[in-house]
Amino acid sequence: MIWRNRRKKGKTGKQKALKPSKQEQDTLFKHITENEDQLRMIYQDCSDVIFHAFTIGGNHQALLLYIDGLSNTEEIDDSVLSPLMTATESDQEQQVDTLIKNKVAVTDTKEVHTFSDCVQAISAGKPVILADKSSTGLSLGLSKWEKRAVESPEAEKVVRGPREGFVETLSVNTSMLRRRIRSPKLKIQSIEVGRYTKTSVMITYVEGLADNTLIEEVTTRLNRIDIDGVLESGVIEEFIEDDPYSPFPQVLATERPDIVTSSLLEGRVTILVDGTPFSLVVPITLYSLLQSNEDYYRRFLMSTATRWLRYLFLVIALLLPSLYVALLTYHQEMIPTSLLISMAASREQVPFPALVEVLLMEVTFEALREAGVRLPKQVGSAVSIVGALVIGEAAVSAGIVSAPMVIVVAITGIASFTIPRYSTAFAIRMLRFPMILLAATLGLLGIMLGVITIIVHLATLRSFGVPYLSPMAPMHFYEMKDTMIRAPWWKLNKRPRLTGKYNKYRQSSGQKPDPIRGEE
Amino acid sequence: MIEKGKISGLQMAILLYPTIVATAELVLPAITGEVAKQDMWLSPIWASFFGYLSVLIAYRLHSYYPKETLLQYSETIAGKIPGKLIGCGILFFLLHTNGMNLRDFGEFVNGNFLEQTPLTVTIASMAFVCALAVRGGLEVMARSSQIFVPVFILLFMFIVVLLIPALNPGNIAPVLGEGLTPSIKGALVPTQWFNELFLISFLLPYLGENENGLKWGMITTTLIMITLVITNLLALLLFGDITSSFTYPIMDAARYISVADFLQHVEAVEMAIWVTGMFIKISVFYYAAVIGLAQLLNLSDYRPIVFPIGLLLISISMWAAPNLQKLTHFSSTTWPFYALLFQMIIPILLLLAVITRKKFSKTQLS
Repeated sequence: MIWRNRRKKGKTGKQKALKPSKQEQDTLFKHITENEDQLRMIYQDCSDVIFHAFTIGGNHQALLLYIDGLSNTEEIDDSVLSPLMTATESDQEQQVDTLIKNKVAVTDTKEVHTFSDCVQAISAGKPVILADKSSTGLSLGLSKWEKRAVESPEAEKVVRGPREGFVETLSVNTSMLRRRIRSPKLKIQSIEVGRYTKTSVMITYVEGLADNTLIEEVTTRLNRIDIDGVLESGVIEEFIEDDPYSPFPQVLATERPDIVTSSLLEGRVTILVDGTPFSLVVPITLYSLLQSNEDYYRRFLMSTATRWLRYLFLVIALLLPSLYVALLTYHQEMIPTSLLISMAASREQVPFPALVEVLLMEVTFEALREAGVRLPKQVGSAVSIVGALVIGEAAVSAGIVSAPMVIVVAITGIASFTIPRYSTAFAIRMLRFPMILLAATLGLLGIMLGVITIIVHLATLRSFGVPYLSPMAPMHFYEMKDTMIRAPWWKLNKRPRLTGKYNKYRQSSGQKPDPIRGEE
Repeated sequence: MIEKGKISGLQMAILLYPTIVATAELVLPAITGEVAKQDMWLSPIWASFFGYLSVLIAYRLHSYYPKETLLQYSETIAGKIPGKLIGCGILFFLLHTNGMNLRDFGEFVNGNFLEQTPLTVTIASMAFVCALAVRGGLEVMARSSQIFVPVFILLFMFIVVLLIPALNPGNIAPVLGEGLTPSIKGALVPTQWFNELFLISFLLPYLGENENGLKWGMITTTLIMITLVITNLLALLLFGDITSSFTYPIMDAARYISVADFLQHVEAVEMAIWVTGMFIKISVFYYAAVIGLAQLLNLSDYRPIVFPIGLLLISISMWAAPNLQKLTHFSSTTWPFYALLFQMIIPILLLLAVITRKKFSKTQLS
């Protein structure tokens, strides 16, 4: 109860609850020894915090604090310690604060007045200088730590398109966005989430394109989060979803800066989280989850065809096994006779009903896939060979499953790989099993009812207020240009209505290339 | 207001279209063919006049009470107790008709596809799915039907196109061979299907601003009329005189399709059409009943009564008739007159009451 009351007070309340020492909230002391004692108490048993005492120009006592591995020690030596320690006699006449400011050759400096500011700066990798006879410290922006190099994103490969992906370091990610959108209208707001991890989370949007209420909503939902730590953006995703029980993702997780850029330009908001390459884009629709960024880089006819292929295979991934069960169990008359005969012949040896056969194969396939994902690369290929041999050959020749069943499972497997977003594919894979059970109990009717239920559920879903099925339902014919087909770029003049209604047009119309115009 | 959602005119049309077409499409040729013979394709045209009338009445009433549904303004117009009684009557009618719809659905599925499955199971599973949609609210229903109706229309076109080579245009002659009477007689049952458009009075209050309810109502009626004429023509040109001897002529027509030894037995497609259509139809009736009951009892939320009413619907569907023959007999003889009372006469009386009252108060003022 007390805990809850404290939480309501907001950030300061939270910090108080965390750090019982009341002294810490106090401003820095005048005397450096007192300051040092206090800080040493705060950083008790933290062997990675370096306390470096030195004298400025051989006169003033000073203390430099930083965390080993988070700060650039070479820079500290060159631009901080050596100028200060070699300060000449003439410099001594200045106040110690001004002296430090004048001597230190660092661009990003900031005055700190309280212990909590000190701690915050030090934790962020910024060394802090405290001088005797001064209750003002100076934090220096000299943070530097090991980061992964920018690589091509593993989960979202493209044939044509930029190959760089986000990394775990937030500043690198924001710089990638800034490089892509140079306009100062690109806003990056920072907030802190996590009681202990104090992960910085950036709300990114383009001013004038994103709806203000949307930005507010994102901010409130993020501020609501009160947890120990943010391990990955997936943790945040679960806290900000509209319908937490839905199998469908209502947030787009991507590690591609080009996807984020295009989303920002459509008036969406992106949440970047420190420590993970996956950023979250909101709001999204089902159709945006079925699109790949490459759709926009390829020729539009190809992209349209690919989209249709994807929609078709989405249905296959969801329904093929259940259709197989329904047809074999209830509606044999609908299978063309010659096909039925060959199917019956291959099923002759099989001791199980179609339902058991399908479940057996589907579960095995899912297990194989899961095993393949977790295992190291070298072992993974071994698993897939064993899986292919066992499922494809041995199971059929042993008469445990029929050959058509293997084909069905294989096609379903391939179909689920065509869905460009992993999280969407997951939802479809999971829903396949209830569909199989429905087909086994009610035949085609069961499948129809299952599909209706799924669509009713999708119609209920919203992602940050945007209907999940838009622009199909509610229907907007203009936007079908970018869902049913991928119209050429010079036709996509308007932004999506639900995210970009404040700034409707993204380009001027009539840009269809027409080289003959203007001549003769 | 209980319902917080808003729908567009298009969404309203897309909800109402399958509400009428779903049942009609399957059994209309058999019912109209019995009396109208080769003129049966004219019957839906005559019947559609009642549809237009129904929309018009509902719209006029709506313009007097723009924020209220039929059950609410019947109370305002007729007074508290009589209004509640009328409301009870309409509710009973809605529940009963919806029970019959459910039974229709169950009988169709059990008769054609799942012979061994108990009727209760098919009916209950459908009722459950509809309950989910109704619980989601009007917006959810509208959005789901926006997904289904295009599919519905496409599949229907698919069957029509595949049947074209088998059609015999000679079956249509002699047009009006026995005068107008047979086709008008044949319009009796479809009239009441068209009158089901009175359900528009449950949707009009939730139409978004700047939406023309009347225009969309009329468009819906016209589209329904065209679809039904096509349905009847299809059955007539394919089967001729024997149309009325089938229970589900269009279903049998679909069985007839066979293209290149591969595309055959497309009755699954017909079932898909029928199930999606019936889903929307039952949901709309269900929704009207639920929101009507909630308004009758002045409830603050309609969600808690969705599932109980679903249970009631399942029971009513079982009680509606002992078998399919009795059900068809009831719905083609007694039901049209019974439906006429609630779908047409009561709204007309309410409208007349409003108009006379307005006139009366005006003359009093002057």
